[in-house]
Amino acid sequence: MFCSRIVLQCDIMAASLAQLIEEGWGDYTMQQEEGEKIPCEKAALGEDRGIIIMSPSWTQLLFQILLLLVCCRHINTKTSGATPSPLAPVPTVARSVVLKGESQNETIEVLNPIKLELECTWTGDQDKLPNITVYWMKDENEIENSRLTVQLENEPYNLKREFSIEKEENLGTYSCVFENVSKINFILAAPQIGDVREKPIVSYVGDYVVMTCKMEESKPKPSSWNWYKKNGTDEEQIFPAEEPRYKIKNEDEKTKLVVHNLTEADSGLYYCGAVYAIATTKSPVKLKVITYWEPLKPFLAILAEVIVLVAIILLCEKSQSKKDGATGNETNADQTYTLTEGENKDQEGNSSVRQRKV
Amino acid sequence: MPPAAATNLGYTPPDGGWGWAVVFGAFISIGYASAFPKSLAVYFKEIQEYFSVSYSEIAWVPSVMLACMYGGGPVSSILVNRYGSRPVVLLGGLMVGAAMVLASYGTSIIQLYVYVGLIGGFGLAFNLQPALTIIGTYFQVRRPLANGLAMTGSPVILLILAPLNQFLFDSFGWRGSFLILGSIGLNCCVAGALMRPVGKSIQPKPKTEPPECDAAVAEKAEAVDTTEQSASLQTEKGKSQSRSQSCVHRFIDLSLFTHRGFLIYLIGNVVMYFGIFAPVVFLTPYAKHQGIDEYSAALLLSIYSLADIFVRPATGFIGNSKWIRPRIQYFFSFAILYSGVCHLLCPLASGYVGLVVYAVFSGLAFGMVSALLFEVLMDLVGAHRFSSAVGLVTIMECGPVLLGPPISGALVDISGEYNYMYYACGLFMLVPGIFLFIMHYYNYKKLDEEQRQSVAVEMKTSEETVKLQIGPDDKTAHEADR
Repeated sequence: MFCSRIVLQCDIMAASLAQLIEEGWGDYTMQQEEGEKIPCEKAALGEDRGIIIMSPSWTQLLFQILLLLVCCRHINTKTSGATPSPLAPVPTVARSVVLKGESQNETIEVLNPIKLELECTWTGDQDKLPNITVYWMKDENEIENSRLTVQLENEPYNLKREFSIEKEENLGTYSCVFENVSKINFILAAPQIGDVREKPIVSYVGDYVVMTCKMEESKPKPSSWNWYKKNGTDEEQIFPAEEPRYKIKNEDEKTKLVVHNLTEADSGLYYCGAVYAIATTKSPVKLKVITYWEPLKPFLAILAEVIVLVAIILLCEKSQSKKDGATGNETNADQTYTLTEGENKDQEGNSSVRQRKV
Repeated sequence: MPPAAATNLGYTPPDGGWGWAVVFGAFISIGYASAFPKSLAVYFKEIQEYFSVSYSEIAWVPSVMLACMYGGGPVSSILVNRYGSRPVVLLGGLMVGAAMVLASYGTSIIQLYVYVGLIGGFGLAFNLQPALTIIGTYFQVRRPLANGLAMTGSPVILLILAPLNQFLFDSFGWRGSFLILGSIGLNCCVAGALMRPVGKSIQPKPKTEPPECDAAVAEKAEAVDTTEQSASLQTEKGKSQSRSQSCVHRFIDLSLFTHRGFLIYLIGNVVMYFGIFAPVVFLTPYAKHQGIDEYSAALLLSIYSLADIFVRPATGFIGNSKWIRPRIQYFFSFAILYSGVCHLLCPLASGYVGLVVYAVFSGLAFGMVSALLFEVLMDLVGAHRFSSAVGLVTIMECGPVLLGPPISGALVDISGEYNYMYYACGLFMLVPGIFLFIMHYYNYKKLDEEQRQSVAVEMKTSEETVKLQIGPDDKTAHEADR
């Protein structure tokens, strides 16, 4: 990025240099990214560096020219955009932790390649040994040439070390260890995807399924998303261009994988990967594809239960009413009699003796 | 008991026997109708992703379902008035089952609105109303207890459906779960089969009559479906009025809108429904807002449900006691007032213990109100007109039920605090409570007056008939003497 700005400057400076050359200050050879050559030859040198004797008023221009030379030389080499060269300035981040107690963890979120300066401060121990050994570890392995023996003199001891975090292998747990006892762990990782769904998504043969992954609002957004399917022990990336069955819809903080025309072979583990400059963090999503027969079994069972129960209840009622019909006809007649009595009374108004209503 | 509740059913309700089986059937029907829309929330996230719709679009599904369930009240009442409870509940069960099975094959969110929302909602309406109505036909003396027991179905079925839905979703995804929920819904047909019409020989007249609206035929019908007020006075008046309205009356009793008790109940309930559901909907988010972790917040809801389950039969039992039953309207007003006070005091609850106390008390309050909700309506209008009454009430309550939680949600969003929502809900319940207390005091006085008047008229007419009878006898005796 830094160099791309310089590329722009190259153009501008080339123009002003050209002006200089025209005025008789010599030529310099420069090769820019596109392969254009601007003839800049210095008579005294003949190499790609040049020293010009100039008056103090030109010192600014000289500084810019030197900068240009340094950078434009770098642009000449063929490099892919992602990996910066050692000469490109990388931001330095410092983290400092004071140890309280035996052991401590510090999580550091890394997005881009950085130079990380880690500092551990130890306040000492009751044992008060005059000499202590300190060293650094990465992922349970001691880093070579990091072991030191230090004289402790009643004051907190600072242990500092700079690490170059450029690739995914550089991420992990870095620890500073004091006397094999006290240590501070710095856990370096790209932002992790928070809510992971543990239970599988269930879908059906012939249907489609939508699997989503979401990065929390509070965490930085990845530059893009990838999807992988687990094949044996490997993870194969899914490319929708190759297989039209798959569709990936990406938004800044979430991604969706749509799989059409599912088959039972599509069951398994999928991973969504949030791509950051330093690494890609993955999160698992499980898919289970079943046939329609699976839910149909409980459905038919419950349907059968309903039909049986309704039949039992209605049959019981029929048989009971038959029994009542055979024996208790009189009681029915009484009830109907009371009802018709009431009816008659209402229809005829205030006829004979009023009957007390129940 | 106020004379308005003298049902003049024309028979003695069994108050037991097969009635308890009917209560069990009503338990299932009412429970399923109340709990099912609430329990669907588990599926929303996945359906939302599957159809690529926003959360508000998926939230329309239970809203349409609730709207149809409440709006289908009058339709349900008409059908029950004509055919009785059992066929309507059987139809309702079939509709709910079919709705979910069709939904499991749905290919768009619109189809879900139609199947789950429209058909499912009407199916639930055909479960709720008839179940309430049939209790009134089987119970008189023990009716509050029967109502309380039947209403307990709601929290119990919710307690069963919620984890069941989670399990089904994990095992079968949303399509398979909807299929299985369809078959579970068919169990409402079993509940319907239990709802045997009381005393088979006593069938409502409209069933045996031809469907034409004959004046004479209608008059007979009117004679049986008499109004519940003092018989001799009102029937004559009613007959002349009803001859023109008879057709409509056979379907749904719109004269209820002139019924004093019904109007009091309607006004009080419509206002109360604005504030009844929001507090429990927002209980868990409120707890999380106070800094309580997710599991403890979910536990609050379970405590609330347990208090609810316990208090509903207890309220039914208390409402049945001889001290409360005659003045059960006051008990209902008290329950609403108590709810209002609970919600008003909620913002004072501090920490987890305070919220647990609130959950217990408001669970008790909600249970009390729910258990008495339909019992007091039956008490006011009588079992005969209850079917129409409950239909009209539910369609009026449609608005507050749908608007209540979103309004509360808007209050929370605007103010950023939950306090104002609780104050608002408390007020929505306090004011109707006081209103109902005052209006029912007035109503009871009027009813007592009417009873005294009707007794006086009865005595007068019986005296006159006795005089008439004695008169001619005297004459003949005189003549015989001569």
